[in-house]
Amino acid sequence: MHFSRKENDVIEVDNVTKRYGQRLAVDHLNFTVNKGEILGFLGPNGAGKSTTMNIITGYLSATDGTVRVDGHDILAEPEAVKRNIGYMPELPPLYMDMTVEDYLAFVCEIKKVPRPEQKKDRERAMDLLKITDVRGRMIKNLSKGYKQRVGIAQAVIGTPPVLILDEPTIGLDPQQIIETRNLIRGLGKEHTIILSSHILPEVSAVCDRVLIINKGKIVASDTPENLSRGIVGENRITLRVKGAEADVLAAIRSVPDVTNAQVQGLREAGTVDVLVEARKDRDIREPLFLSLCGASLPILMMKTMDLTLEDIFLNLTTEEKEVQ
Amino acid sequence: MFAVFKRELNAYFQTPIGYVFMGFFILLSGIFAAITNFIGGNPNFTGVLGSITFIFLIVVPVLTMRLLSEETRQKTDQLLITSPLSITGMILGKYLAAVTVFVITLAVTAVYPIIMSFFALGGLAGWEILGGYIGFLLLGASFIAVGLFMSSLTDNQFIAAVTTFGALLLLWILDWVTNSLPTDAVAGLVFLGICAAGLALLVWFTTKNVFAAVGTALVAAAAVLLGWLFQKSFFEGVIVRVLQWFSLLKRYNDFNLGVLSLSPIVYYLSFCAAFVFLTVRMIEKRRWI
Repeated sequence: MHFSRKENDVIEVDNVTKRYGQRLAVDHLNFTVNKGEILGFLGPNGAGKSTTMNIITGYLSATDGTVRVDGHDILAEPEAVKRNIGYMPELPPLYMDMTVEDYLAFVCEIKKVPRPEQKKDRERAMDLLKITDVRGRMIKNLSKGYKQRVGIAQAVIGTPPVLILDEPTIGLDPQQIIETRNLIRGLGKEHTIILSSHILPEVSAVCDRVLIINKGKIVASDTPENLSRGIVGENRITLRVKGAEADVLAAIRSVPDVTNAQVQGLREAGTVDVLVEARKDRDIREPLFLSLCGASLPILMMKTMDLTLEDIFLNLTTEEKEVQ
Repeated sequence: MFAVFKRELNAYFQTPIGYVFMGFFILLSGIFAAITNFIGGNPNFTGVLGSITFIFLIVVPVLTMRLLSEETRQKTDQLLITSPLSITGMILGKYLAAVTVFVITLAVTAVYPIIMSFFALGGLAGWEILGGYIGFLLLGASFIAVGLFMSSLTDNQFIAAVTTFGALLLLWILDWVTNSLPTDAVAGLVFLGICAAGLALLVWFTTKNVFAAVGTALVAAAAVLLGWLFQKSFFEGVIVRVLQWFSLLKRYNDFNLGVLSLSPIVYYLSFCAAFVFLTVRMIEKRRWI
């Protein structure tokens, strides 16, 4: 597959492969990221997310294939590419024996921010990440959440058009996770962002588009909404019915379009919870009601279940699929 | 480059390493100066510098062990390598920071000759001492370059320190070892044959190209054979001559005697440059693994 460059493509990853000895970490990856887009990398640990990010930022070299950022090839013009990217690796690259402010001053210098703008840029980054109150503290004495935020502050120094964030919310408490997500959404207004995660709600909350990666390959690429609607779309309903298990199952299975009925457990005395799967595009709620009503089995609860990203993710990334 | 230099220099004095290096160095040079010059009444300070060169074996590994290994371990190399900074600039900044700590330390030891100058009857041989310092500085800078390279090979600072110590010790005993090596022509032929094979292997490991490696082996073997046929005397003592090329201490003796000549200065500077270059290659190579 070959992509021709479009006006909007900020990052183009073309046939990128990374081989560690015999092991293929990244297997002919192809994708592009549009300007202003927030792209989420989703995948189990060891799927090749970090390796891909390391290749885009120029930390590692691909065994094969090319990466272009803003039209610059990472191998031919590494400096032009690196100027355009702010990178927050999996482990924030912090010097423990520096204060937050000294550290950001150092980052300003190596990122070649013009000297008169350095102080302003530093203040902006500290304000954005809410780390102004720890500016004078040694990084080694900061909590994990603060260290993580200093790591993100480092990436936004110099306002690079592209931000690459590897698991930006790892190790944060729930309050900070929400703050960081809001922050990333805010950053998405002026930056093109790639972020990786193995936490699904995060990706669906923040990203415009999701790439699901497994074993170095893209297994799905779409908006979070389309992903949960489309791919394996099955119709699922949970029911709580009063009556004996065998009777309930028999009544449900007599409905024509039902493909599967499974007992989920007993949560209330004398009732049974059942998960019913039906053929796609068939509404079975009415026939179910009529069938159970006819058997004098009162329905206490009926809930349709959307496929969550978790289900899609597991479906796409687990090998042992159920044999139907 | 300057940003890395500044950060590294600060780091030396934020951690105990800079103080340990300076303290130990000044203590030992002080003891030697006191015993030889002040108590012994000997006005020869370059002799003192010459006799304290062994300190390098112990303090240089301390100075250089965390230069690159710590960056790898803490993953801060990801920040440096993904920034628009060139790798050469980054390595040079680090190397110069280590050399600067060494220069500052040397500057402190300059108080000994200054104190002596008040008491020495015939005055001090000022230029001779300056020459001695230049030689001492160059020798130290060469050892620091070896330490820098060793630090790029591992992410463990203790291993970096121990391998640096080992490498420096090898350089130290080189003269002593070369004196007992065979000097006849056959031994020279075998030695150069091994060198040719080593060169071919190096080409193979770096390019993975069979033709290039075999070609190198053939050309090198032909050169050795031609030499053997037409200039047999060249092979006598060739092992000693080659190994002595690496002898840092032998060239220091000139400075020690108060002779300041260009060739050892050029030698030391190119030795430093070679190891800094090797370090840069080492870091660049990591991306391809």
